[in-house]
Amino acid sequence: MREPAKPFGRLLAPFNGQQTLGNSRFFWACWLIIVVALVLLPFIGTRYQVITASNFIISAILALSLCLIWGFCGILSLGQAAFYCIGGYAYGIVAMNLIERHGNTNVAILAGIAAPALFAAVVGALMFFSRLKGVYVAILMLVTSLLLGLFMRQTADPSYTMGAAYLGGMNGLSPATANDPQLPSIILGFGEAVAEFDGRGASFYWLVLGIGIAVYLALRWVVNSSFGYVLVAVREDPERAETFGYDVRLVQLGAFCLSAAIAGLAGTLYTAWGTYIHPDGFSVGANILVVIWVAVGGRKDLTAVIVATMVLSWLSIELATWGEISLLMLGFILVGAMLAAPEGAFIALGTGIGRLRARLRGVGRKAPAVYGVQELKP
Amino acid sequence: METAGQIVSWIYQYFDNFGFLLLAGVGLILIYSMMGVINMAHGELMMIGAYVAVSAFHAGAPVLVAIVLAGLGAGLAGVIIEQLVIRHFYNQLLSSLVVTWGISLIISQGTLLLLGPSVMNMPTPLGSFSVGPFAFGVYRLVMFAAALVLIGGVWAIFRWTRLGERAQATMENPAMARALGIDTRRVYMLTFGLGAALGGIAGAMFAMTATISPFFGQNYTPMAFITVVVGGGASPILGLAYAGLYLAGVQTITSNVFNEYVGYVSVMAAAFLALLVMPSGISDFLERRRTRATQR
Repeated sequence: MREPAKPFGRLLAPFNGQQTLGNSRFFWACWLIIVVALVLLPFIGTRYQVITASNFIISAILALSLCLIWGFCGILSLGQAAFYCIGGYAYGIVAMNLIERHGNTNVAILAGIAAPALFAAVVGALMFFSRLKGVYVAILMLVTSLLLGLFMRQTADPSYTMGAAYLGGMNGLSPATANDPQLPSIILGFGEAVAEFDGRGASFYWLVLGIGIAVYLALRWVVNSSFGYVLVAVREDPERAETFGYDVRLVQLGAFCLSAAIAGLAGTLYTAWGTYIHPDGFSVGANILVVIWVAVGGRKDLTAVIVATMVLSWLSIELATWGEISLLMLGFILVGAMLAAPEGAFIALGTGIGRLRARLRGVGRKAPAVYGVQELKP
Repeated sequence: METAGQIVSWIYQYFDNFGFLLLAGVGLILIYSMMGVINMAHGELMMIGAYVAVSAFHAGAPVLVAIVLAGLGAGLAGVIIEQLVIRHFYNQLLSSLVVTWGISLIISQGTLLLLGPSVMNMPTPLGSFSVGPFAFGVYRLVMFAAALVLIGGVWAIFRWTRLGERAQATMENPAMARALGIDTRRVYMLTFGLGAALGGIAGAMFAMTATISPFFGQNYTPMAFITVVVGGGASPILGLAYAGLYLAGVQTITSNVFNEYVGYVSVMAAAFLALLVMPSGISDFLERRRTRATQR
């Protein structure tokens, strides 16, 4: 791998390494151009495009959370949307109860992140400390998500209220009585100062974009840190990692909780974006979408997953104008990608670009193997 | 009479739940233990069976013929899926999980496009009997019997036929089986087809007690998955039987004492509990204990 150029080197060093694609100056230049373009989107695009883009970025954050555990730690969860929805519900319930007293949703956002992490800690401790097989973890997480959805669906009875919030069954979260406040969008309070981010406005878009970039950079830093290397060691060979003195179960649990917290953050933003949360988020459809984004993108790279999420989300919306075929097409894309590029279509694209650049510069016939491509062995 | 009816009701529900888990899980656990593939599209194969059975029934076929046709239809679909996709994913547990999930999405969404969201159904055959104030459908007992017959059939195939012999050899050591001239690819194809056919028959039998829509399968798969996970892959028949006995008991008691939702959650909790003790399922656990005993 080529060392990044010196002036950028020190700045970017924490974010570059073996565990991520795109460590060159060229990559970061492209990245910066795209970020600037995204920041300028509200000045160029229509209001609808800005609202949709906010949703795409939220989806990308959710996809990153699955990428962390599946791609780097080898834990596949087919129920990642459960954490997203738990975060969403937690945010909504706390926000509706505290908004009038506090005037902001700071605590609610924290609840939206902490609740799924706590849930993951309990479920994950049970699963990882009993050394459950990977497939069983995947299936049990899906079943957990479906059961939570089943519970939320039957909460239409008026007795299901939590303070000012009424769970509302299939109608989604709503105020308990007419006097209670509506589900608020994000309102950050700094002492006396208050900043409100309306889900349909450009300010919310910038907030989500900032959070998205922060999550991306933070994860790049995490996976290239020594903790990231331990994660990959656990993915490649848990027994060997154990022999080296690492407690595999704790590493898995830590990654699982971190992933749940990120998914919960995405769920919080989603609830604030639409001021709406609904039991369908726990369904098979919601869970499979996350897996499609990550699998088609390439589970072992953060950038590829983000790009895939954006492209596939955009494709779903475009296809929706042709009738109800978007999920069918996503199914074909998933199966096709798994057959043609088992490591992910966008990773294949990314390594292809890297090879092409290397050849154009005459570095060598082949770019150095930046990336160990191996199928997960059972 | 009141208490007698109550007791019969509990026993009846136990066998109903047990039969349900056996029927829903038999095809799934067969494919899992033979091929190391958890087939997420199993529910959709059941849905195909259900649609075939209902169409055949409304076209005038007798119920038994409709069920056989359902098995053939789903089995054929299974063979096609195996040839096109699954054969690239043998013994890659996580990848096969994801790819079969994609297939399930394709089948359910494709059916939705072709047939629309409208629901179909067929009447529950056979009448009912009553004990005290309670009335019980005969058909559910027939379903339990059918589950036993299917499992017995699978056992007989593996015990006494050439295919069964070859399948056992393939399961034990694929490389060695190939070296001895067994066409393992064909064995896998037929196994997957058999598992799919079992799913189709189960779907046809469930079709007579429920309405059928493109998402029919999703109602049955969570429980089937839990049964398979608790059962483990070492021995499909033993694993299924033990897991079914255990989980049906938990479900019957908790859903009677509390409600149906608590019943589902308790099954999940019971599954977790079993996996804490036996992390790779009941049959793997027993297998390991047996080998340890023989080694001693």
